[in-house]
Amino acid sequence: MMLFPQAPSHRAFRVWVRHLVYYRSFYLAEWAGNLGEHILWLVAFGYGLGRLVPNLDGISYAQFIGPGLMVSVAMWNATYESTYGAYSRMRIQNVYESMLMAPLTVGDIVLGDLLWCASRALIGSTLMLVVLSLFGLVGSLWAVAILPILFIEAVMFAALGLIATSLAHSFSFFNFYFSAIVMPMFFFAGTLFPIKGLPIWVERLSEALPLTHAVRISRGLFIYGHVENFIWHFSFLLGFTFLFLTVACVLVSRRMVE
Amino acid sequence: MPGFVIDAQSIEKSFGTLKAVDGVSLQVKPGECFGILGPNGAGKTTTIKMLHGAVESDAGSLRVLGRDVATQSRLIRAQMGIVSQEDTLDRDLTVYENLWVYAGFFSISKKASLTRIEYLLDFMQLREKWDSQIKTLSGGMKRRLHIARALIHEPKFLILDEPTTGLDPQARHLVWQRLRELKAQGLTILLTTHYMEEAAQMCDRIGIMDGGKFLVEGPPQTLVQEKVGDEVYELKGGASIEFLDSLQDLSVTTEIVADILYLYSRNGMGIMEHLISRGRKDFLRRPATLEDLFLKLTGRELRD
Ligand SMILES: Nc1ncnc2c1ncn2[C@@H]1O[C@H](COP(=O)(O)OP(=O)(O)OP(=O)(O)O)[C@@H](O)[C@H]1O
Ligand SMILES: [Mg+2]
Repeated sequence: MMLFPQAPSHRAFRVWVRHLVYYRSFYLAEWAGNLGEHILWLVAFGYGLGRLVPNLDGISYAQFIGPGLMVSVAMWNATYESTYGAYSRMRIQNVYESMLMAPLTVGDIVLGDLLWCASRALIGSTLMLVVLSLFGLVGSLWAVAILPILFIEAVMFAALGLIATSLAHSFSFFNFYFSAIVMPMFFFAGTLFPIKGLPIWVERLSEALPLTHAVRISRGLFIYGHVENFIWHFSFLLGFTFLFLTVACVLVSRRMVE
Repeated sequence: MPGFVIDAQSIEKSFGTLKAVDGVSLQVKPGECFGILGPNGAGKTTTIKMLHGAVESDAGSLRVLGRDVATQSRLIRAQMGIVSQEDTLDRDLTVYENLWVYAGFFSISKKASLTRIEYLLDFMQLREKWDSQIKTLSGGMKRRLHIARALIHEPKFLILDEPTTGLDPQARHLVWQRLRELKAQGLTILLTTHYMEEAAQMCDRIGIMDGGKFLVEGPPQTLVQEKVGDEVYELKGGASIEFLDSLQDLSVTTEIVADILYLYSRNGMGIMEHLISRGRKDFLRRPATLEDLFLKLTGRELRD
């Protein structure tokens, strides 16, 4: 099939608006849940487990995981919304189908969905930022600069999630996706423990994971207010974002147009 | 707009080895109402989905509203309203939000869409459901909301896939009434239905589809007249060979289904007298209908 007639456009915004209209009906409950969950993670790991962990490069364990949790919250939120959320819109509730009966393209729908997933992820991360600053774990005002980067990171993971969604034939496929892709990404990106010093193949693997680069940027901004090799990490994120976005467009087209 | 609203030449669509649409040609003029009839699995929905690009054709050429569907379906959809066979209302949103969000897809301004939504909810008698969740609506209300949604952008051309299936008689009458009003306003309509009588009343032309092909196509009355005749006599309780032989001199065609004998007549001369003279008074005499034609062409076996 031709890719061009399905290209995204500014109409993606209308798709984003649809999701926002739905979100209005439940956002308060979600925010409360998010805050509770963030605090739980920080207390359980940062302070509970953290008592057993010596200072890492002169910072406490809670300080170490704070920036990692910021970027992983964005990943988890974007992934949930682009898998379970998008699958139900695409396969169960016929939301995509109804949009394709209006003058929208598959590209509009995909882009609108990704922007929405990223928006939700950004809200989740912002709440995490609030929690971290309440606990005094934000060392530099530069930390706020992580938000636009998280948005891009979330678009990337949403696109990856949408690729999984377009390949899925039922919700149970996501069990596989989460345990094969998302969980390893979370653990081996240096969010909860430093990767340096682990076997060389683990270090190599970690360097190839997009989340690792988001973690590096985040940790730099939070603790030191600057990031080493920023251009490299940022290009890595951007490159994967475009790659996943393109693949997602193609695969969703194939799923929606028979 | 000059030319045809739909101009399909030998379009085809296969799913694996199954030819769902097998060389359909169809031309519909502006302002015309065309009805596609056919048994379950005939290929009606697939044909309709090809018209708005949800199913891509394997062969043939297909132009709608003067544009090529393969490359310009987005622009076509901007001018066309679609009521799908499946429920595609947004269950996460209320009635009003459904219409408002959909208006956004057509880039209609907030103010203009509000006026239009009020008009359409009145038109479809859904005004008091304004704030309801979709799951609290009855099947008939959902169908009417579907039609309202398809009209949100004042389309030139409306497609309806089984608009009245599953509706009670009141709701069905309302829907057909509204469709007639829309037609009177000059809207071009393409629909599929299993309600022969309504189709015969509403459609300028119908096509009977089976196995992905049109078997016949034309104005309903003309088709019935040509292929079936004027009148049908139904006789209960079977018929003897001898009685059937006695019908040979009359200009009728006969058909036996279970215990009913059907006589299809073209000019009706002398049939009643013949039946009465033979002592058969238990017959029903009625005009030939589209349903007679439909069954004649597609057979009486169950599909799917
Ligand atoms: N996505 C698909 N994949 C495989 N086969 C399909 C698909 N869609 C339709 N078919 C098959 O194509 C044939 C035509 O289906 P279609 O839905 O067009 O029939 P229809 O005339 O609309 O029937 P109904 O009156 O039951 O709605 C059927 O045999 C159906 O099983
Ligand atoms: Mg159908």
